[in-house]
Amino acid sequence: MTLLEVKDLKQHFTINKGFLGKKTTVKAVDGVSFSVNEGETLGIVGESGCGKSSLGRSILRLIEPTSGEIKYKGKNITDLKGKDLKDLRKEMQIVFQDPFASLNPRNTVRDILEAPLIIHGVGNRKQRLEMIENLIGKIGLRKEQLSNFPHEFSGGQRQRIGIARALTLNPKLIIADEPVSALDVSVQSQVLNLMSSLQEEFGLSYVFISHDLSVVQHISDRVAVMYLGKIVELAEVDELYSNPQHPYTKALLSAVPVPDPKQKRDRIILQGDLPSPVNQPTGCTFHTRCPMATAECKTIVPELREKSFGHWTACIHV
Amino acid sequence: MLLNVENLSLSLKKDGSYLKILDDVSFQVEKGETLGIVGESGCGKSMTALSIMRLLPDKAKLEGKVNLEKKEITALSKKQLEKIRGNQISMIFQDPLTSLNPLHSVGKQIGEALYLHTELSKIERKQRVVHLLKEVGLPRADEIVNEYPHQLSGGMRQRVMIAIAMACNPRLLICDEPTTALDVTVQAQILDLMNKLKQMNDMGIIMITHDLGVVAEVCDRVIVMYAGKVVEQGMAEELFANPKHPYTIGLMQSIPKLGERKNQLGSIPGTVPSPKNMPLGCRFADRCNKAMDICRGKQPSTVEVGPNHTAACWLYEEKGVGRYDASRGERSEATFHH
Repeated sequence: MTLLEVKDLKQHFTINKGFLGKKTTVKAVDGVSFSVNEGETLGIVGESGCGKSSLGRSILRLIEPTSGEIKYKGKNITDLKGKDLKDLRKEMQIVFQDPFASLNPRNTVRDILEAPLIIHGVGNRKQRLEMIENLIGKIGLRKEQLSNFPHEFSGGQRQRIGIARALTLNPKLIIADEPVSALDVSVQSQVLNLMSSLQEEFGLSYVFISHDLSVVQHISDRVAVMYLGKIVELAEVDELYSNPQHPYTKALLSAVPVPDPKQKRDRIILQGDLPSPVNQPTGCTFHTRCPMATAECKTIVPELREKSFGHWTACIHV
Repeated sequence: MLLNVENLSLSLKKDGSYLKILDDVSFQVEKGETLGIVGESGCGKSMTALSIMRLLPDKAKLEGKVNLEKKEITALSKKQLEKIRGNQISMIFQDPLTSLNPLHSVGKQIGEALYLHTELSKIERKQRVVHLLKEVGLPRADEIVNEYPHQLSGGMRQRVMIAIAMACNPRLLICDEPTTALDVTVQAQILDLMNKLKQMNDMGIIMITHDLGVVAEVCDRVIVMYAGKVVEQGMAEELFANPKHPYTIGLMQSIPKLGERKNQLGSIPGTVPSPKNMPLGCRFADRCNKAMDICRGKQPSTVEVGPNHTAACWLYEEKGVGRYDASRGERSEATFHH
């Protein structure tokens, strides 16, 4: 069953540029559509500045989307306000990238985990503490540690607390914005394993945002690749990694260093950097770096089309 | 041999007492070779680099020897060291934005090394700077010379850093997480460039990174560090095909690999011990699934485990302990008496 449906979502920011305050628009998310099924993990992958974090935040309405439609369980939530919006937030939670910045250093873990329950008026104090004690074991920390402050924990443990905080209200959907990129590899795998087992236990759906293609492959059922605010390819994880169609996805996959010195691959090395989202190229935004670009690419904006079952690509040459 | 580091130990003063950050680190770098130093945060890999350059805080205690082209450099004075830094040994840091001066043009910052270490005239220096910018693959080198760091993208800034490091044709280039702050497509460009420069200049490179993928792509030889000690050392192909130390094995199992899907990743329980209370025995013992009694009591010595391949682990020590059967992944005899 479809849990979340996003249609033509746009997130534009207006910025003042220069001394005279000339206004320009940054198209952080520019017409993105996808859906997330119940119990599924959708990976969103892309380089810095491609709009993946803005996308995550506008789904939760932490920032107001410029236009487009977000449907949760078939209900349009784009214009929800007041109590309805608050109720919705019980259902969707977020885990942030930086476990050092996202926990209040002055609060104990107990306070941090209790806060969402208080805000949403769940139970009395005794019941709330019981819920927290129950939860803390599930993320691999001990009850005694509830009285500790964030600085007493390692990065991995803090990220577990961040995950626990997102789980206190029993949400259905969790948006995880680079949840493991600040962690060391051995700790990263602990957190990824924890997320997988929690997903099974609570029937969670994840939108997993990351720049790391290997991590996204590991955790996702389907993957969307973003470039400059647009989805350029979307497919089942095995299909996308074994049979990438869009030239950007191909280059991205070939650029990932593989931990095996014997495996020598033909690299596609893209020229140049990601263009600034303020001055986006015309036509297909990837044409400035694309090895397959032709004159048409400068004028035609490619649409995301289903090329084979469940495999969507936005390129006129595919 | 280009660089020989012998029994390097480093203690830093914190809250009135000395903490041992590096403990008996030894390794070599040959000409034209790339040595990878891998490990997780806090394992001492960056401090190893800074100790070689002697870019250390005032109250640091450094023991051991560092030989560059057979010349002992640990005993040199500040002035003598300055002649070596940026000239024979240079360094590239992780974050290109904070390591460039925002107030000076790119050209001036590259030219500084030439001004300090060469006799070139102002005009010659400018020519060399433009040449260097072209060499590191920057487009419109003539214009970029006069631009400032904020006008460049992350990848371009790192190229400028490389140009600064390469200005005096160093014998040894130390790169501390040079691509960690960059996107994968840009990382691929930079690694490609570094390989090209190494071939052109026949220098030695020390590549410090936490990314085993990067190590596999560019390094000839690898040392693995854990909590201030070298736990394993070997040729890259051998080490990746045949890791011996339980920490290296754990590290390799915990990374998701492209093209390979597993339900559960391997993981190493627990976290790195703090230098304040280092375990008496093997520092990895508390997180190790093969730990024995002796591991907690006594530090293992470094033993040969294959051709040009060493590990510091009791599993491979001959005396008193059952031989480690790598094919079965367990010890054949588990008894041990103190």
